[in-house]
Amino acid sequence: MRRIGLLINPVAGMGGPVGLKGTDRMAAEARARGAVPQANRRAKTTLELLAENDGLSFVTCSGAMGEECCREARIRNFNVVYQYDGESSAKDTQLAVRQFLATGVDLILFCGGDGTARDIVGVVGQAVPVLGIPAWVKMYSAVFAIDPKAAAEIISGEGAFMLRDAEVLDVDEDAYRAGVLKTQIFGIARVPVLAGMIQLTKQVFEESDEERAKQEIARFMKEVMLPDTLYILGAGTTTEAIARHIGVVKTLLGVDVIKNEKCVARDVDEKTLLALVDGEREVRIIVSPIGAQGFILGRGNQQISAALVRRVGITNIIVVGTPHKLRDTPTLYVDTGDAALNAEFGNTILVVSSYHMAQRKRIWQPKPDQ
Amino acid sequence: MQTKILLDEEQMPKRWYNVQAELKTPLDPPLHPQTKKPIGPDDLKAIFPMELIRQEVTTERYIDIPAEVQDVLRLWRPSPLYRAHRLEKFLKTPAKIYYKWEGVSPAGSHKPNTSVPQAYYNMKAGVERIATETGAGQWGSALAFATMLYDLECTIYMVRSSYTQKPYRKSMMQAWGAECIPSPSTKTKCGQAMLQKDPDTPGSLGMAISEAVEDAASHANTNYALGSVLNHVCLHQTIIGQECREQLAMVDEYPDVVIGCVGGGSNFAGIAFPFAGDILTGKHKDVDLIGVEPASCPTLTKGLYTYDLADEAGYTPLLKMFTLGHDFVPPSIHAGGLRYHGDSPIVSRLVHDGVMRAVSYHQSEVFLAAQTFARTEGIIVAPETSHAVKGAIDEALKCKKSGEKKTILFNCSGHGNFDMSAYDAYFAGKLVDFEYPDELIKQAIGRIPKVP
Repeated sequence: MRRIGLLINPVAGMGGPVGLKGTDRMAAEARARGAVPQANRRAKTTLELLAENDGLSFVTCSGAMGEECCREARIRNFNVVYQYDGESSAKDTQLAVRQFLATGVDLILFCGGDGTARDIVGVVGQAVPVLGIPAWVKMYSAVFAIDPKAAAEIISGEGAFMLRDAEVLDVDEDAYRAGVLKTQIFGIARVPVLAGMIQLTKQVFEESDEERAKQEIARFMKEVMLPDTLYILGAGTTTEAIARHIGVVKTLLGVDVIKNEKCVARDVDEKTLLALVDGEREVRIIVSPIGAQGFILGRGNQQISAALVRRVGITNIIVVGTPHKLRDTPTLYVDTGDAALNAEFGNTILVVSSYHMAQRKRIWQPKPDQ
Repeated sequence: MQTKILLDEEQMPKRWYNVQAELKTPLDPPLHPQTKKPIGPDDLKAIFPMELIRQEVTTERYIDIPAEVQDVLRLWRPSPLYRAHRLEKFLKTPAKIYYKWEGVSPAGSHKPNTSVPQAYYNMKAGVERIATETGAGQWGSALAFATMLYDLECTIYMVRSSYTQKPYRKSMMQAWGAECIPSPSTKTKCGQAMLQKDPDTPGSLGMAISEAVEDAASHANTNYALGSVLNHVCLHQTIIGQECREQLAMVDEYPDVVIGCVGGGSNFAGIAFPFAGDILTGKHKDVDLIGVEPASCPTLTKGLYTYDLADEAGYTPLLKMFTLGHDFVPPSIHAGGLRYHGDSPIVSRLVHDGVMRAVSYHQSEVFLAAQTFARTEGIIVAPETSHAVKGAIDEALKCKKSGEKKTILFNCSGHGNFDMSAYDAYFAGKLVDFEYPDELIKQAIGRIPKVP
């Protein structure tokens, strides 16, 4: 029997259709503009597909945060383990997740957006796998299934979940509403993936174990790393594995700087990076695609700015990524905020995906008339 | 408008052509893996029959094909040469494209051209059993077929990733009475060591070669057979190019461009060596010989020309060849037969001397070419062969740009009827474009293959 913690953020997805770019602290405004709750409807699609599955049991929250949806979808085997009052809040999400962990769950299934993902992963970290049912609006995090049906398919799979790392990103919504896109990486979740999709290509070996793939990349990068060269390592578990392989402790979510196999600076901002590269002869940037869309630059590692990239040079950027991650992102994105610089990346890029091996990936570029 | 150009059975070449005869200086000799001194026939006697050792080193221009071998080859030879009218029309190219169709052999590829004589010479030498390796299964099935003809036992170490991907090749080997084992296996000491180091390894041709060589060296009644790379293997394949020359002459043609895919180099050697001989002797200096390899395993385009081991464990002699390092494990691309770290010493020498050139392509572009070929000429080619198809299409498109009416010949080395899962992956958009990151590898300190 697989036990699933179900959490719905009832107001998620309401801001988008009424032009609010997110619903953080804006639920009342969204309602006033005529927004209709989305999350319950979308979660119901997933739950209806799971209702007949006798191998599943659910723990959830009261009312609109899960209980109502379970009843509507005719889920038989569920318990309410967290009660909330009034308008649900981030605090309720965090408390409910704590309750799920205390009860013991195999997976946390939620319906919401980046903010909900951030609140959940902030509590569970990588202790329990997390899977999101997309609730319509902005989603930069890589924890979401493609659609509610795909979420059900992943959960219905036989045997243990196959897991991969997924960054949780969120946009500063106040800045976003003011027209400025600032994305920050808030955590790394473990996300189940669909076993059937992996079988399709029969690439059994490359797909086996993401941790092993990271080790292979790290082994290669250790050979490539030259003395007296400054290495700027972006966020994520792949770059963290590289640092670990050479005996350096790296922040998972920040940008760190390494030289001669020693940490020079940890979790640095753009200004510090520009100061650090000043006077250095050889600098390399090692980054991994981040989030649902696979951003090499511009989401989650905005410390690595256009000014820094221009100073270091595009040819000195080494992109690394596990085959697991690359499979889900056929096209990668670059958004440095400097259109000319973005264009200089060209239409493809080499991504190191194993020991002495790389993959040629497409980079999205705007059409000339855009 | 002639489509098929056919030779009668009696027109099948009676001799193999040895391009070594035309080299101004001899090939660098194979070296003993321990002593690093040139090896002699005695060093090879444990695993090869004497006639094949002789063929490996001889510089005679022609070697007679035994009558008993000719009898077997006539089961499918001479193979047809096709004019690809439909492909030309589709590409709107002024070029003339010819392809030699080797998929008509019982095993479905060019490989029986050498498996039959190799099994024959082993039978003649009193050998009872042959051990070998296979990448995609083409060679394994060809040797299973040949050993059955001469009543020899056959054990085949099949690269594990292919063993999983291509179960029907394994069934073919079984149909012809051979034993097929996924490599690395626990049957050999080197296989055990490789599994201990990495239980999840996809295997590689280099690993499988080590296992087969160990098997042959440790059993008195057993010899080893290799499906590519070695000089005698390339020699046996030259029947392809010799037939092509005859067939093209029948329509008053001589090729401007000759193309083959390259893994170990034997199918390329088969179609190209007779024309390489024409270049080296000055008869036709301007033939453009092109070897096509995968971007994930670009031995000729990005490797080093140096001495390296032919296998993973270090049982084989050191060969002077283009290599990515014998410890290089190529990713599990669908063209399993092209996953080899090194290359034929003769092909390598021809690249080094500028007699031929090499190009490399990604998986998805070669499958697009294979799809184009299937939808124009009808034949569904093997993933390995699709590299040659892509090379030919690109040359034909260059002609379209320049207006040149070149005659392009390529070796259509095998069918892909057992490779439909690879096509499925292509249709589903799931093919990964692996690429060897040579610039980064060059940056790495001390990362030159460990060779003397």
